[in-house]
Amino acid sequence: MIRLEHVSFEYESGCPVLDDLSFEIQEGEAVGLVGANGAGKSTLLRAMLGLLPCAGITVDDLPVVRENLSRIRKKLGYVLQNSDNQMFMPTVFEDIIFGPVNYGLSRQEAAQKAGEVMEQLGIQHLKDRYNHKISGGEKRMAAIGAVLSMDPEALLLDEPCSALDPCNRRRVIDLLNSLPVTKLVASHDLDMILDTCSRVILLSEGKVKADGPAYEILGSRKLMEDNHLELPLGWQSRGRTGNC
Amino acid sequence: MDDLTAIDSPVHRLHPLSKLVTTTIYIMVVVSFHKYDLSGLAAMILHPAVLFALGSIPPGICFYRMRYVMPLVCAVGLLNPFFDRTPMLVLGPLTLTGGIISMVTLMLKGILCLTASFLLAATTPVDSLCYALLQIHMPRMIVTLFLLTFRYVFVMLEEAAVMTEAYQLRAPGQKGIHYTAWGSFLGQLLLRSMDRAGELYESMLLRGFDGSFRYASGKKPGIRDILFPVLMITMFLVFRFNRVADLLGALVLRGV
Ligand SMILES: Nc1ncnc2c1ncn2[C@@H]1O[C@H](COP(=O)(O)OP(=O)(O)O)[C@@H](O)[C@H]1O
Ligand SMILES: [Mg+2]
Repeated sequence: MIRLEHVSFEYESGCPVLDDLSFEIQEGEAVGLVGANGAGKSTLLRAMLGLLPCAGITVDDLPVVRENLSRIRKKLGYVLQNSDNQMFMPTVFEDIIFGPVNYGLSRQEAAQKAGEVMEQLGIQHLKDRYNHKISGGEKRMAAIGAVLSMDPEALLLDEPCSALDPCNRRRVIDLLNSLPVTKLVASHDLDMILDTCSRVILLSEGKVKADGPAYEILGSRKLMEDNHLELPLGWQSRGRTGNC
Repeated sequence: MDDLTAIDSPVHRLHPLSKLVTTTIYIMVVVSFHKYDLSGLAAMILHPAVLFALGSIPPGICFYRMRYVMPLVCAVGLLNPFFDRTPMLVLGPLTLTGGIISMVTLMLKGILCLTASFLLAATTPVDSLCYALLQIHMPRMIVTLFLLTFRYVFVMLEEAAVMTEAYQLRAPGQKGIHYTAWGSFLGQLLLRSMDRAGELYESMLLRGFDGSFRYASGKKPGIRDILFPVLMITMFLVFRFNRVADLLGALVLRGV
């Protein structure tokens, strides 16, 4: 579904942030994009959405160029790393219906869609709250809702769980697992990647350092430590504790 | 502002277009009053008064929010009394000169225009306003600029608040921001607001924003939405031209 062929990118400053990346993500696959801070994860996601000028990416065989952007962006739902920058309507509800209405749903249909999404995420109580008066984690849940309400064919998530409490984190993980769409999750929350993704791409200094089954890559102590990461917590000590 | 626009009142329920038209014409009429026509202008206070009452907007909030702008607007006419000393009215020992009257008129004009704009903004969400602007064939470019400016002002204020807090946490016992830090503070503020604004705009684009404000399009205008501006505008015109009629009448009489 998403294919990269020799993708390179640098910000004006000079040093390459993405360096000759090539890989393909199949329809329905759940892929974790891991790498230390500054590895280029966010940059890569933004490039896929056509927010950065960058050649060599195709989505469903459509090259990511200006003419195709609206079709591509309808297919790809992107949850930003910083939800403050994602929410722009006054209330959570209005933010969630913004996308669907723009893509042609009537207000009633959009409202119904929003209702479903808020229930899935367990955020019905946030419906009429103001975006500038909710907590970081609540904002993140609302931002995820705003993207899910557009029924994207693929979800690109940038650190989706970074502001969430264990309970909401678990809820997002379960929800991601229940959605049959293509998923690309950028994170250094390796436990979460392990729970949601079957394949992992390890990014370091803009290059693909490893690409393969999640268990293999996240389980390799040497690979992880060479790239400023560590084994998922669940494998460091025995038994995982989670109760939600 | 969001708290105010969320109130449910007859004024809030009016179609954005009818409020926009009414406010625009109101401002035009207010501005067009003659500089000595204080009594005619005073009648125009009725419009904001009605909106405050019907819209359940506490007037206190309005003047509190505009506390920084009001003095500027009022300052405009301050010099008038020194230039225009034509005596207009004598009240016992007090002589009201043309300058004083025109100063008060100018101030009142400013206050009324500001209040009317505030009331429009407080009773109409900005996206609906943009939609209304498009419907009267305002160029899309200008409407989008208007929306973004509105959003970015808030982004900037928020950033400034966050930065001030961060600064003060690391500069205890200091009042305000030391002038040596102003340059970098302002620079940072600008850069950070621009980054955030850029990302916000991208995030709108990613969710299908194309400048048409479809998402804000509400109901079709009903009979109330037509009656309100018609009544209000008639009222403005009566206040405005009534005086003129008086004067004309007086002239004619004198001529005879
Ligand atoms: N707007 C920008 N201008 C210049 N350099 C940037 C910009 N955004 C990110 N970078 C640089 O690109 C590199 C990758 O950043 P990013 O993709 O955000 O990393 P992460 O993997 O943590 O998401 C970092 O070294 C960062 O300094
Ligand atoms: Mg990042």
